[in-house]
Amino acid sequence: MTIIETLLREIPKYAEPALFNLYFAAVSLPIGFAFALLFALGKTSKNPIIRGLASAYVYAFRGSPLFIQFFMFYSIMLALNAVWWRPMGISWLMMNPLFIGPLALVMNTTAYTAEIIYGALRTVPRGELEAARAYGMTPYQVFRTVTWPNTIRIAWPAYTNEVVFLFHATALVYFTLPVIDGQRDIMNTARNFFERDYNAFLHFSVAALWFLAISMVIFFIFGLVYERLMRHMPKERTASRPRLRFGPKYIR
Amino acid sequence: MESEAFWLYDLVGEDIAFWIGYLTNGKHLNWYASFRFTIMAAVFGAILALVFGLLGAMAKASRFAPLRAVGSVYVGMVRGIPDVLFFLFFPLAFEQAVEWVLAMQVCTPESIAATQAKWPPCREANWLLTTNQYLILACVSLGIIYGAFTANVIHGAMRAVPKGQLEAARAYGMSDFQVLTRIHVRQMWVYALPGLSNVWMLLIKATSLLSLLQVADIVWWAGQLGSPNFLPQAGLVHGDWRWAYYIALFVFYILVTLLSEKAFNRLNLWARRGMPEEG
Repeated sequence: MTIIETLLREIPKYAEPALFNLYFAAVSLPIGFAFALLFALGKTSKNPIIRGLASAYVYAFRGSPLFIQFFMFYSIMLALNAVWWRPMGISWLMMNPLFIGPLALVMNTTAYTAEIIYGALRTVPRGELEAARAYGMTPYQVFRTVTWPNTIRIAWPAYTNEVVFLFHATALVYFTLPVIDGQRDIMNTARNFFERDYNAFLHFSVAALWFLAISMVIFFIFGLVYERLMRHMPKERTASRPRLRFGPKYIR
Repeated sequence: MESEAFWLYDLVGEDIAFWIGYLTNGKHLNWYASFRFTIMAAVFGAILALVFGLLGAMAKASRFAPLRAVGSVYVGMVRGIPDVLFFLFFPLAFEQAVEWVLAMQVCTPESIAATQAKWPPCREANWLLTTNQYLILACVSLGIIYGAFTANVIHGAMRAVPKGQLEAARAYGMSDFQVLTRIHVRQMWVYALPGLSNVWMLLIKATSLLSLLQVADIVWWAGQLGSPNFLPQAGLVHGDWRWAYYIALFVFYILVTLLSEKAFNRLNLWARRGMPEEG
């Protein structure tokens, strides 16, 4: 009985820290998605310079650990602090983990999402594109009415995984960035409690429970969006309507 | 000794000679040596991940329902929870479990009463891990985490082996176990390779987390070497150079990814030899 009581007393302590994880994910994802679209289009560009730059960016940020990327961005910001940020008087913003965290996460999720969108862009049916062009649509109209709806539907299951794993990646933020004003995320809170009474099983399990619960909620919401995106398709599972599976492809 | 060093100065000039000297000083040699931790974690982590993956896949495909449930929970577990949490939890939990067993052997009521801290129960039961022990625990940790991903990949690959091949083997009078070890597992690798290459990439990236387990790995040394360096005799040697060291690590990991990708492409071509072209 006491075990359950201890658990129940422990769980609410992570509600506020969880907001920090949610903040990092919620800020990074929309910005990252917008950039990812640009990079994905850049990867399909006919201009070899744009294509090369976009591909190199995506490769670099998918091919290196997020942990290193956090350290890299933080140290670069630290080095620029004396020359730029402090003279400009924006040190309070640029050195804030609430800014650097999303910055690094945006750079990272942009690369992963761009790869997902790029993969989806290439599977858009050629015939539909040709038909749209035959109707005399401008390139923007083709993108707006044919390419984009097809792409988002194909990319959505993979993007759902990316969102869940970006949320998991927010656990790394306070391993690399300084904690100021007691702003702690779930992992940092768990480690803090652990260092007080060395009860690894309790604190880490509850932290894991929080991550699991929020991952499930994200997955549920994205599943609803997927249903809405696919509402014109027959309900049966067919090859053109794959089941949204909670299957990880890439994490960091 | 000095005359020996001067030929270098004449050859490459003062600036480059300084950089050669700087990059080969004792601390930097320690940094280069610490790459062994990362490499060992990657290699042994991968071997363990393969072992756990095979066990997990077999459990998941088992006919015995509880075993199947264990396999499913194991594979599903890593999906909802960040890998860094597991990476920290397993070694800590193992350490505490050992200390708990130890405490039952060595602790007396008096020594427990004399202990102020909450853990371990008494001072005799305290287990201070060395770097190598932490490294072993980190490898096991990586093996468990990425074993779950591997299990998923292998489970899929086992089902991708054409049914006809297995039926042919059974028609030759092989037992179930013979079909599994002689045909099924051997044919499975071709289908598993692309997925395994993905898991390997994840594993490499996860080796950057070693410093969280108090292993003085490449990331820890990069932070040490880059920090502002002040010597009483020489004044400020250099300012904050951490950015340069972290960018070096960033490039290092990209190069490792590039090389692994090439190696896996080769391996895939070799494994697919004699098979019909795809698509």
